[in-house]
Amino acid sequence: MYKLVNNKETNQLVSITKDNSSGEILSIPVHPANTDYIQYLEWVAEGNTPEPADEV
Amino acid sequence: MAITINAKTSGAGGLETTADNTGNINIQSGGSTVMSVTSSGVAITGALSQNGGAYSTQPTFRNLIINGDMRIDQRNAGASVSVSSSTPYTLDRWKAFNNGGAVFLVQQNLNSITPPEGFTNYLGVSVTTSDTPSGTETHVIRQQIEGNNISHLNWGTANAKTITISFWVRSSLTGTFGGTLKNGPDATYPYTYTIDSANTWEYKTITITGATSNTWNTDNSTGIFAQWSLGSGSSVLGTPGAWNYSANLNGATGETVVVGTSGATFYITGVQLEVGSTATDFENLPYDVQLQRCQRYFQVIADGRVSINAPICMVVSQSTTVLHGLVHFPTPMRTIPTLVTTVTSYRANLGASNGNSTTNPTLDTIISTISARIDQSGFSGLGADSAGLVRINSETNYVAFQAEL
Repeated sequence: MYKLVNNKETNQLVSITKDNSSGEILSIPVHPANTDYIQYLEWVAEGNTPEPADEV
Repeated sequence: MAITINAKTSGAGGLETTADNTGNINIQSGGSTVMSVTSSGVAITGALSQNGGAYSTQPTFRNLIINGDMRIDQRNAGASVSVSSSTPYTLDRWKAFNNGGAVFLVQQNLNSITPPEGFTNYLGVSVTTSDTPSGTETHVIRQQIEGNNISHLNWGTANAKTITISFWVRSSLTGTFGGTLKNGPDATYPYTYTIDSANTWEYKTITITGATSNTWNTDNSTGIFAQWSLGSGSSVLGTPGAWNYSANLNGATGETVVVGTSGATFYITGVQLEVGSTATDFENLPYDVQLQRCQRYFQVIADGRVSINAPICMVVSQSTTVLHGLVHFPTPMRTIPTLVTTVTSYRANLGASNGNSTTNPTLDTIISTISARIDQSGFSGLGADSAGLVRINSETNYVAFQAEL
């Protein structure tokens, strides 16, 4: 499952966390050439929604 | 014609010479020319040696496959990976792709069999749940070769270069096995090879004429998908031995379905993909060089499996609970990387104050291919505006960065 992470001062999206259920926790940058971010965008395009960021 | 200098091997032996005015010289042994000197250069027939060893004229770094001898396994350190409807990375640079119904294990040196001579490691596959693939179901082991490393192949042009794949393979099954080279979306070359004897290492070579059509990336995205099929559905199989410039395929028609047999095994090592129509000996790179090549795509920066106190990076505290740190990568990465953690406990040492956290660090937007800022919360009692370090506080875990294709 994906979860958004916002900057605690600006409240802007800075990364996306994913628990891939194999023991790895990913912190994914918002960058178009990053394969994990590309897979996140594909996941969203399939109609899925990430968990919102924690309240600042 | 040429001047000849012949060391006779018949009769009483001796030196025999003939002369002409061509300007050429042939040096012979027993009447057979082993060296020819002409105005255009020197030609050698037979083997060259230097200081008692073979003199190689093969270019270094000719193997486009990284970790072809399966020595590097940063993620799993020899542990098995269960592949079920997923696409995990296994050994460094080797990905398993499974969108079908089978389940199989991938592991470095699975079942501890003896590798082929000259190798110490191999990638092993063992089928735990069998499946008869249909439609587009795919089960493959693949390596995605970065486009930056294939630009010299001239693929997609009339000057495309021929390449040769070579590898050692062993299986509990025999018959015709398949695989593919492809660009991803629309150009595929299905190939086959035969495993003649069960549970026996066999050396295979496959020569493939370069692709003269379609687009082959030459940047930091995937240039070539090199795949070894474990069994795929008919919709993604193609006629072997020819380029198909309108299909994205994952296997060859008629291939053995490894995943169709529960308990079946498939082992591979010594994988080399090089320019030319002849396979050369596997190019052995020093371990540190091979590791560095892998680190462009995945690098462990703190390894609790090596040291429970493995440091992650220098940090400064923003508050009593939050740290900022800067990680500098030992090898520049392919692109902006993902932070990967398997750690459950961290400890910060800041001057006179220490603190623990079970919250994983996250990336900030301050990041490049050579360094990254990380943020970490969940501590307590840290001195504000203090500098120090944060480290792993649990064994068997690691912190890494990945920029895989």
